[in-house]
Amino acid sequence: MTPTAVRYSVRVLELFRTLPGAGSLRGSPAGIATGESMALDRGAWVRFEARVATGRIVECRFQAWGCPHLLAAAALAAGRLVHDAAGQASRCDAASLALELDAPAEKMGRLLVVEDAWRALLSEAARVQ
Amino acid sequence: MGDGEPIYLDHAATAPLDARVAALMAACLADPTLQANPASAHAAGRRSAERIACARAEVAALVNAAAESIVLTSGATESVNLGILGTARAAGVARRHVVTSRVEHRSGLDACRQLEREGFDVTWLRPRPDGTIETSQVEEALRPDTALVSLMHANNETGVLTDVAAIAGLCNARGVPLHSDAAQSAGKIPIDVESSGIALMSFSAHKLGGPKGIGALYVRRRPRPGLQPLMFGGGHEGGLRSGTLALHQVVGFGAACTLAGAGLAEEAARQHALRGRLWQSLQAAEPLWRNGAEPALPGILNVGFAGIEGESLLLEMDGVLALSSGSACSSASAEPSYVLRGLGRSDLAIQASVRLSLGRATTADEIDRAAALLVGAVRRLRAALPPGALERIA
Repeated sequence: MTPTAVRYSVRVLELFRTLPGAGSLRGSPAGIATGESMALDRGAWVRFEARVATGRIVECRFQAWGCPHLLAAAALAAGRLVHDAAGQASRCDAASLALELDAPAEKMGRLLVVEDAWRALLSEAARVQ
Repeated sequence: MGDGEPIYLDHAATAPLDARVAALMAACLADPTLQANPASAHAAGRRSAERIACARAEVAALVNAAAESIVLTSGATESVNLGILGTARAAGVARRHVVTSRVEHRSGLDACRQLEREGFDVTWLRPRPDGTIETSQVEEALRPDTALVSLMHANNETGVLTDVAAIAGLCNARGVPLHSDAAQSAGKIPIDVESSGIALMSFSAHKLGGPKGIGALYVRRRPRPGLQPLMFGGGHEGGLRSGTLALHQVVGFGAACTLAGAGLAEEAARQHALRGRLWQSLQAAEPLWRNGAEPALPGILNVGFAGIEGESLLLEMDGVLALSSGSACSSASAEPSYVLRGLGRSDLAIQASVRLSLGRATTADEIDRAAALLVGAVRRLRAALPPGALERIA
């Protein structure tokens, strides 16, 4: 019943406590791309929404269910995507997220779900632009 | 506790050591006249033995037992092991069957698994969805070769109570000893081992305000169940538990039992009311559900919040509210609670569940603040959920 003690990096705690970019985009659905990935058995579900204008992601939001590392990773990815060229963003793979968050190895499976959602978003964003 | 301190709602894991008990233990340790081995025949040894006898009587009084029926151990885990392994191994070659449940504490589960490795046949009862084990289930499971029935008095995760008196009556009629783990219930609700007919019952000191590292096994005197010791070397505790007793621990245990026994029914009613207040306040975070049902210990509430992941909720509460998660999925090897699984809950529902357990020091103000903290955290985490998650994570 008592959870295994988990150490959280300062970055994870900062992102988890503020969840920047959490929620969904408001306004017209035109120019909005989405990317989603789910692995409920691994405790992970992530969805990104991005507004694409003139070939660039100008706004990005995330929605997620999962552990603090997953929520922090989704927030981190949503922030990184803004201003990237649609279809060419490249810094939200699980390895780079894990590095910045100082995530333990057992969280890698969940961070891969974030990566899958990010890749799905990029693919759709390329079509929307 | 003050406003700045975390609210402690994890008494089922361990209760804070009562300050009066701590003072008594410290006095024992410092008293030069209480340093002799209580097993020694000289005057100083007899003085220690007398203190042990007084404390043993206090432990016995909490459950209306005779002092001679109390075997002091290192804690409930040892008591449960002695009760289960000791009884089954003493039963002889004609009785090689044990009845227990899938939702026992790990000490009981692992002791029964050890018996399986030794060739015993174990019947694992599955609780009803509300967490109860029915007497009829035990009746159906009993066989001519049953050596032992072992069932928790109160489940440590849900607080659900088993009617051990009824099951003891059934077992006694068949000549089968009943062992019950009362680590959670002793000192929380009235227990009368004499009238219930239970053969063996396990207790822990640290769940009721006493020190860690000490517990007891009640062993009925008439008819006395067969019992083989697990430890050898000195023949202490009637030959059932060798090893020099730690006087200050025993004195602390006895004092904690006396304190817990004072106004027990009133305290149970108070905690029951506080738990109801907590459950009512948490309705602001619906959809939610309760794991387990009445009859249950007054101080335990196991609740699931739809759409919530346990580790995130625990981190939200870190430093402000101490509670336990229904899941320990934060490491690669940990698994969701087998107790909640035993109740038929899905892994997702288990991940969304937490246990809140109250104690003697819990106040109404703490309950109100804890509920407000939980509702706020649940709302914040839900605000970030993907569409449809609230319905699926339940």
